[in-house]
Amino acid sequence: MSFSSVKNPLHKHAPGVYRRLGWPVFFLLLSFLLMILPLEGFVASVKAVLAYVFIPQVRVSHQAVAYGQDVSHTVQELLRAHAENEQLKQEKERTQLLAAQAKNILAENERLTQLLQLAPTHPWKGVWAQVAYREPARWNTVVIDKGSEDGIQERSAVIALENGQEGLAGVVIETTDKTAKVLLVRDEDFSAAVHLERTGEEGLLMGDGPRAVQVKYIPLLAEVEKGDKVYTSASSSIFPAGILVGEVSGKREGDGFQTSLTVYVTPQIRSSAIQEMFVILDKEISR
Amino acid sequence: MIVNTLKLICLFVLATVCHWAFASFFAPAGISVNMMLVFVTAFCVYLKPPFAYTGAFICGLFLDFFGTKLFGNNAFTFTVCACLIDSMVDRFDFEALFPQVVAVFCLTWLASLLNAWLVFLFASASNWPGFFSLLGGAFIDGLCAPLVFWTVGHLLGRSSLCRQG
Repeated sequence: MSFSSVKNPLHKHAPGVYRRLGWPVFFLLLSFLLMILPLEGFVASVKAVLAYVFIPQVRVSHQAVAYGQDVSHTVQELLRAHAENEQLKQEKERTQLLAAQAKNILAENERLTQLLQLAPTHPWKGVWAQVAYREPARWNTVVIDKGSEDGIQERSAVIALENGQEGLAGVVIETTDKTAKVLLVRDEDFSAAVHLERTGEEGLLMGDGPRAVQVKYIPLLAEVEKGDKVYTSASSSIFPAGILVGEVSGKREGDGFQTSLTVYVTPQIRSSAIQEMFVILDKEISR
Repeated sequence: MIVNTLKLICLFVLATVCHWAFASFFAPAGISVNMMLVFVTAFCVYLKPPFAYTGAFICGLFLDFFGTKLFGNNAFTFTVCACLIDSMVDRFDFEALFPQVVAVFCLTWLASLLNAWLVFLFASASNWPGFFSLLGGAFIDGLCAPLVFWTVGHLLGRSSLCRQG
């Protein structure tokens, strides 16, 4: 065995060790160099170069996180919509049930109407209009944004809604192509044939400006109580029967020579609260 | 080779997105999560040393890019971590969950301590996030480690870049 043939283990592993240590030493030295250099100058240049590589990364990261947050928000919205959908489904079922009950009631009503030989009632037909103008000095008259082009004629009855209940609002007294003037119930010139729901006694409803609306010419011996409902009468030539006008708020105390009763009525529709009105067009059908 | 490079780029992008997302999510709670370190650990376990060190260095530079007081400290820290993993990878079975979690948990502490020391040494500033902040961050890093290791391992497979390739 020659001396030169003996292999040194260190020589055998040296290249591998160098290769293994080379990379970490290189990167450690490089990062150490970056740390000891001032932030201006070379490091700033390195940062500027890295910006081209890392800024898109940052943008992607930011967008991904923002998208993730949007997903969370969207999922929450979906869950909320799902809950609302369930609630609406239940409401729809309740509404369908009510509609079925209403259908039965309508059928029963029709049958009873035939049995009692009463004149059939029809749903009112007309147009909805919005209050376009109020005369500042005369709140008992309003101008609406529908006119003769929409089928509105003079002496058309006008109703409105307040607190979910319809009531007599007034009567059309003038029309143009696109507008119409409505005389409200409170006006001194307004009158309508009405009846008391409880007793059936008829009278004449008359406005009295700022004072309470009155119903005159009620038979003297009629029993009238506070809170009695007042409806338009079938004998009216303008208004369809059965429109709620208001309720009795009191009785006028007169002298001993009076031949009829006069009662005060609180109108269902307040003049100042009217925003939208329904103008009844088919008077003949309605009557 | 191109495919493998693309895989590495994708993993780097994924690491940045995860780091950004976790940092954004946990920062309001005062928890210092370092997902980039978890990815660096996974790179060092699966990749051959040249690629592992390069990846660690670049990931460190990415964090340094946002620093204002010192530049290169994170690159240095991650390179040291890569050295440690490189020396341990033959002794521990990093395919198992427990070594992954423990390694990442310990490296999070080491990296933060080293980083704080470097910033104090070179910039005379404090970079210590606080004990409980770091404890929470290390805990979350450790919990995320198995998923990150699994993702990196499955994406790289047995390519020529890997130790087992």
